[in-house]
Amino acid sequence: MKRIIWLFNTICVSGFLALIFSACMKDKVQRTYKISTPVYEVLTQFRENIKSEPAVPVGSPGKITVAGKYIYVSEPNKGIHVIDNSNPASPKNISFINLPGNEDMAITGNTLYADAYGDLVSFDISDPQHAIAKNFATNVFPDHSIYYFANAYNSGMVINPDSINVIVGWNTRDTTVDYDQGNLYPVYYANCMNCMSMAPMASSAGINKVATNGSMARFSIINNFLYAVGYSNLLTFDISKPFEPAYSSSVQVDWHVETIYPLSDKLFVGTNNGLYMYDVSASPDKPSLLGSFAHARGCDPVISDGDYAYITINDSSACLGFNNELQILNIKDLANSVLVKSYDFTHPVGLSKDGNYLFICDGRDGLKVYNAADVNNLQLLKQIKDAEVYDVIAQNGLAIVISNDGLYQYDYTDPGNIHLISRL
Amino acid sequence: MKVSFIFIVFVLVAFHSSAQQKTMTSPWQFHSINSVGLLEGESGSAFQILTINGAQYGSWFGGIGLGIDYYRYRTVPLFFDFRKEFGKKLNKLFAYLDGGINFSWVTDNQKMAYVISEQFHNGFYGDLGFGYKAGIGKKDHLLLSLGYSYKYLSETYLSPVYNNFFINADNYSSGQEKISYELNRINIKMSWEF
Repeated sequence: MKRIIWLFNTICVSGFLALIFSACMKDKVQRTYKISTPVYEVLTQFRENIKSEPAVPVGSPGKITVAGKYIYVSEPNKGIHVIDNSNPASPKNISFINLPGNEDMAITGNTLYADAYGDLVSFDISDPQHAIAKNFATNVFPDHSIYYFANAYNSGMVINPDSINVIVGWNTRDTTVDYDQGNLYPVYYANCMNCMSMAPMASSAGINKVATNGSMARFSIINNFLYAVGYSNLLTFDISKPFEPAYSSSVQVDWHVETIYPLSDKLFVGTNNGLYMYDVSASPDKPSLLGSFAHARGCDPVISDGDYAYITINDSSACLGFNNELQILNIKDLANSVLVKSYDFTHPVGLSKDGNYLFICDGRDGLKVYNAADVNNLQLLKQIKDAEVYDVIAQNGLAIVISNDGLYQYDYTDPGNIHLISRL
Repeated sequence: MKVSFIFIVFVLVAFHSSAQQKTMTSPWQFHSINSVGLLEGESGSAFQILTINGAQYGSWFGGIGLGIDYYRYRTVPLFFDFRKEFGKKLNKLFAYLDGGINFSWVTDNQKMAYVISEQFHNGFYGDLGFGYKAGIGKKDHLLLSLGYSYKYLSETYLSPVYNNFFINADNYSSGQEKISYELNRINIKMSWEF
């Protein structure tokens, strides 16, 4: 009996003490992360510094455009490399156009159009080594207007360039703060270089003077119009006066628009949720929707050869997708496109097609080359795992490939002997 | 938790049967201390189960412990245990000190949603306190203790990064982050020693 009483008393005392002391117990939970603070420059000064500079090594390339013997490669948010590719076996990096905030570009004739945050910059590239900024169309890409933020959706407002600060760099430091325990599902907003804003576009057939863009592009040119996709819309600019691009229209597409691909008088717009096809023959200043095709959510560049559309869907975190596949659509009737077949991939990104040869950048699995004569039965001709590849332009027996560590060029004039000829 | 508890009880009974059959001819004596504990702290209340097995020499004891700790995140502490008894009666006071590694064994519902990857890392485990040991049989004792317990663990995770079209970019975080947890608790343990 004594022991039971002792046990009861001891438990009560211990419990009481525990309750007393537990109030003094505090958990220390801390969150450590890198925080980046922008470095600003006044817009007027910022624009003065937009010009060609000596070449710098290609670091982390983004979009790609091929204009004659020159290759233009964007370094996301920094500028554009100009590469003389007169001899693909020995390309020469000849200059770098300093253009902070740049992601996309398109070229027609001697004019290079590129975004710089929310502005559209027109360059005279008569001498590609010495590009000259001729015109700044202010705040025409409000989706990307970091420094016009307060005026982002008032593009008609008159803005004093000296009142605008532009981000030209970032100071990054480690930061540790007490963790908000209620924040179990953190979401971070950042300046995501490759998922939003304006990027260059792919063009293939059509106008001879128009350069060819990669499939990841967000700019495209058909005749006298520049088309650019924003976060949710398709913007049109009249470039009949090359250095005076004039805003024409904005057509609402869908949320999370990613890429645009021109073919003849058609535009193929890829979004997270599907493909949208537009016609620009009747009213090039305001594209009209011809049809659409919904697919599983994912990042999805698209190209077309006229009969079929080729869509790669990947699970990049920016698109919140789960699928990694190539979808081939029959688009002979654009209003009623039909899925022909899907093929599984590892992480398909950019793609290109030349005749029956289909080139697909499959992330870490490298570049895959297929014979696509029969879309129901793609035949793998070659897999090249030189690098983690991002985008490709294949034309005239030369595949120009952008990867995480530079520019690769492959000769495929003999499909049985596709081989690397240079790397920059 | 139920399966873990049943398994530990089974092991202890087996140990107990074996230990009871041995004749005490050495000053070193094997002892097994098996505890169920309540942890109280800022993150709430949680249970803990532990088994400590080692040798006693006089009033000193040293052993190795293993358990499961459900405070905030499920973890598995593996530690050394040292304790000193005071008095020579059947019932006596004691003090203990534990130190070791705390292995993360986080349940799925304790993980974050909407992160690309999440990884937990092991950390230090410590416990110190005092208690009362009462004989309840020839060689069995019932222990009741009160102590301070500390466990550390951390996690790193990668979150999706969205563009800042609609927000100002004065500051932004990278998607890679680390959270460290220094968890301080009061514990009450009831133990069976044989």
